[in-house]
Amino acid sequence: MSARTPSTGGGRPDYVDIYRQVLDHALLDADDWLCGIVDDIEVEGDVGEPLRVTALLVGPGAWASRLPALFARLVPHLFGTRCVRVPWSEVSVLGEQIKLRSRAAVLGLATTDRRLGLYIAKLPGSERSAK
Amino acid sequence: MKKILEIFLGILTAMGGFVEIGELTFMMNAGSKFNYQLLWVVLLGVVGIMVYGEITGRIAAVRGQAVFNVVRERAGMRLGLLTLVAATLVCLLTCAAEIGAIALLWQLLSGWPYRALLLLALVFFLLVVWFLPFKAIERVFGLLGLLMVVFIVVAWKMQPDWGQMAAGLLPTLPSGPTDKQLLYAYYAVALISSVMLPYETYFYASGVIEDRWTPRDIPLNRVIVIIGFALGGLLAAALMSVGNQYLGPQQVEAGLPGTAAFSAASQLGRAGLWLAIGGMFFAFAGAAIETAMCSAYDIAQFFGWPWGKFRAPRNAPRFVLAWAIVLVLSTAVVMTGVDPIQVVEYSIVFSVVILPLTYFPVMAISRDPDVMGVHVNGPIANTLGWIYFVLISIAAIAAIPLLILTHGGEG
Repeated sequence: MSARTPSTGGGRPDYVDIYRQVLDHALLDADDWLCGIVDDIEVEGDVGEPLRVTALLVGPGAWASRLPALFARLVPHLFGTRCVRVPWSEVSVLGEQIKLRSRAAVLGLATTDRRLGLYIAKLPGSERSAK
Repeated sequence: MKKILEIFLGILTAMGGFVEIGELTFMMNAGSKFNYQLLWVVLLGVVGIMVYGEITGRIAAVRGQAVFNVVRERAGMRLGLLTLVAATLVCLLTCAAEIGAIALLWQLLSGWPYRALLLLALVFFLLVVWFLPFKAIERVFGLLGLLMVVFIVVAWKMQPDWGQMAAGLLPTLPSGPTDKQLLYAYYAVALISSVMLPYETYFYASGVIEDRWTPRDIPLNRVIVIIGFALGGLLAAALMSVGNQYLGPQQVEAGLPGTAAFSAASQLGRAGLWLAIGGMFFAFAGAAIETAMCSAYDIAQFFGWPWGKFRAPRNAPRFVLAWAIVLVLSTAVVMTGVDPIQVVEYSIVFSVVILPLTYFPVMAISRDPDVMGVHVNGPIANTLGWIYFVLISIAAIAAIPLLILTHGGEG
């Protein structure tokens, strides 16, 4: 499947192989914060018409359906059904990682990290970046 | 000068971090049971880990992506998740065995209760991984793991039969009943797995990103994996030789880390004993930390969570929780009273089963010029990569039947 892309950042033609270059690639928000993986892709279009990518889907609610039926039924019990929809218009650069125009918080991504980060921050040494 | 020092330290770190409890046990037992007849497997495994270490390190330096990013992209969700679950379980079992082996070492020194020492080891690891930066973890445990070099000295002092050793570099099937030949095949598979343990490449590739290597570091990557792993292989061969000369005549199995330590004491006295115990402590502790962190790396890379020691813990909270949980679960496994050596034997045999699942996506991406550009595999990496892929696939298919047929390596 192919689609028009905002920018591939590498001088490639203005189309992209959705399966190879978008699906299962990591997402970076406007602050370069790693905020998930493209777990599924939303497309729309009628029969006989070109399909158009409308959004990237992130979260267990998106990847559960890609598993065999037995495991797909287990995922909601173990990981929930959260699925965040990132409009395709949010994509600014396609590369090894997919860069988004907005911050993760605005898009509803990486909420678990922000919540857990507040608890971890209470521990001594949690602020130290080990560069 | 700085570059030379980095190469030197990188090589020593790779060598010092090469051996862990599973490799030590299998090498010594293989030497004890089959003399040097399995030495060729060590050579085969060492070249294999060089090939895949170089490829995964190069991918990480070029793309800034570690093994489980690649697995997710190329193997997809279904096969990728299967690989992730299997790799995490194997890492957890290996970590459990290393923690158990450290508690056994401490017990040898202190006489304290084993389970109390397991808990002490857990606290030690949680504090070390939490507080120490990546570079410090890598250097401290890698470089002090070099105390294991005492086994090379011990092997040398035992005056091995060099002719027999050289003959062992060529594959030969032992004569005798089918049972013995099956056991030989089981050991061949286990040795190749113990040398090519998957966590080593996962950790190495993640380390390339932790250290912020770029394509300019590809020559550094190549030198470190080739020389560092070759020296590590020398250490493994020394362990086989010690197993042959010390354990073989006494019909003893390296069932406890103390057995290996006594082999050093037999040649070098008290100093040898202390060096061996020190070397084993740092080697096993390094492996425990690497396997715990490796599980966290794998899971975080697969699901796109922020990861790495270069991030402050509050900025990579799920990564932190993942390694902490793996350490706690690993300790829980050995707290049940299960023999750590038994655990490591199973983890090593199951490791080989997941090797092809990991290395197929790695090979697919490393030979793709669209992705790797000018750093795509050359003819040597391509040829060796695919030859090893076939070899480890055969080993993976044979591993479980051999485990059953030899009653878990009992013969």
